[in-house]
Amino acid sequence: MHELSLVQGLFSQVKELAFQHQARKVIRIVVKIGPFSGVVMDSFTFAFEVLKEDEELLRHAHLEIIRPGARLCCNLCEREVDAEKEDLDFKGDMLPGQLFSKEKRCPHCGKGSLYPSGGDEILLMQIEME
Amino acid sequence: MCDTCGCQTTKPSHQDSKLLEINKSLLAANDSVARKNRKHFGEMGARAINLISSPGAGKTTLLEKTAELLSGEFTFAVIEGDIETERDAQRIRAKGIPAVQITTGGACHLDATLVHKGIHLLEKELGKGSPRLIFIENVGNLVCPAAFDLGEHKRVVMVSVPEGSDKPAKYPRAFMGSDLFVITKMDLLPYFDFSIDEAIRCARAINPGISVLTLSAKTGEGMEGWMDFLKSESMNQDEDEDEDVA
Ligand SMILES: Nc1nc2c(ncn2[C@@H]2O[C@H](COP(=O)(O)OP(=O)(O)O)[C@@H](O)[C@H]2O)c(=O)[nH]1
Ligand SMILES: [Mg+2]
Ligand SMILES: [Zn+2]
Repeated sequence: MHELSLVQGLFSQVKELAFQHQARKVIRIVVKIGPFSGVVMDSFTFAFEVLKEDEELLRHAHLEIIRPGARLCCNLCEREVDAEKEDLDFKGDMLPGQLFSKEKRCPHCGKGSLYPSGGDEILLMQIEME
Repeated sequence: MCDTCGCQTTKPSHQDSKLLEINKSLLAANDSVARKNRKHFGEMGARAINLISSPGAGKTTLLEKTAELLSGEFTFAVIEGDIETERDAQRIRAKGIPAVQITTGGACHLDATLVHKGIHLLEKELGKGSPRLIFIENVGNLVCPAAFDLGEHKRVVMVSVPEGSDKPAKYPRAFMGSDLFVITKMDLLPYFDFSIDEAIRCARAINPGISVLTLSAKTGEGMEGWMDFLKSESMNQDEDEDEDVA
C-alpha cells in the first residue's frame, strides 16, 4: 500500500498539533489501525522509524499501534459478531478474503454468512508531548 | 525519580508531558478535499463515478464503448488518472468526449487533491456546458485507490476474465467500498477458467450490497445493463451529496 504517505499525513497532523500546543518534543504517538484497513504493519512501522529521524520534534517519538479485533456482521439477522470471542479462528490482521476458506455460519441465527463490518479505520488516537 | 513509571531519570520528564486525545483519520486531509469535490460535482449538476481496477482490465475501452453506444440519454466527461502520459485522455477525446488527463508522477493512486485539479482542468475544457456524468478513471491498481475517497458519488470496481475469479477474495478492500462490480472481457470466458459464481460469491461475502454486471466492451454483450446503470445514475442528481461525512 502507501504506508509512507500515510505516515507523512500522520506527521503533518502531529506537527501542527505540537505547534499549537507549543510542544518541544513529541514522546508518544498512538494510532489505531483496523483489521481491514489494508495497512501492512511492518511497512507502517518502518516508515515511521525512518521518517521521524528527519524531524527534531519527532525524533524521540514512540509509536504505539492499537489493533482492534475483527467485527463481522450477519447478512441475514444483521447482528454483530466478535470474531475472536466467538472463536471463529479469525485474527486481527487477517484479510476478509481469508474468511472464504472458513464458511462459518452466524452463531446467532445459524444460517447467515458473515461479512466484515467496519474495521477499515486508520486513526490518530493520542499524542503525548512535552 | 519519575513518579509515573518509576524510571531513574532525574528530570521530571513525564510530569510536564501533555496528553492529547485526537481520534482523527490519517486520511482526514484527503477526506475533507473529497467532500469539497463532491460538492463541486454537485454544483456542476454532475454525478461522479470512480473506476477502479488493475491495469488493463478494460476501463478505457469500456468508456470508449460507452461513447459509441450513446444516443442522447445522458452526457459524460472523463478525468483520466495515470502515472504518466496523455494516452487515455486522447483515446477518449477521439470519441468526441471531453477528457482531461492528470498524472500522478509515480504515485499508485489518485487522491482528492489531484482530482480537484482535474475538475478545474475539466471546467476549462468544457467551457459553459456541463455533463451529467463525470468518470474518474483511477490509476490501474486494485489495492491503493481503495483507501482514497475522491469525492465520487459511485464507486465501480472492475475485474477482467483473464485476471481470474479469485480477485475479490485477494483484494477485498477494493470491494468493501464499491457500489458496483463489473466483470469485463466476457468474450474471453471460453478460454479461461473464470468462475462467475466464485467471483460474485466472494465479492458479496465482503460487501453483500454490491451490484454485479458482466459485459464485454468488445462484442457489446451485457452493455445494456451498464448503459441502464449510467442512465439511472445520470437522473440521480443532487442527492446524498455528503453521504460519507466522517
Ligand atoms: N477481448 C477483449 N479485450 C478487451 C476488452 N476490453 C478491453 N480489452 C483489451 O484489454 C486491453 C486493455 O484495455 P484498456 O481499456 O486500455 O484497460 P485499462 O488499463 O483498464 O484502461 C486492451 O488491449 C483492450 O483492447 C473486452 O471486452 N474484450
Ligand atoms: Mg486506461
Ligand atoms: Zn445471523
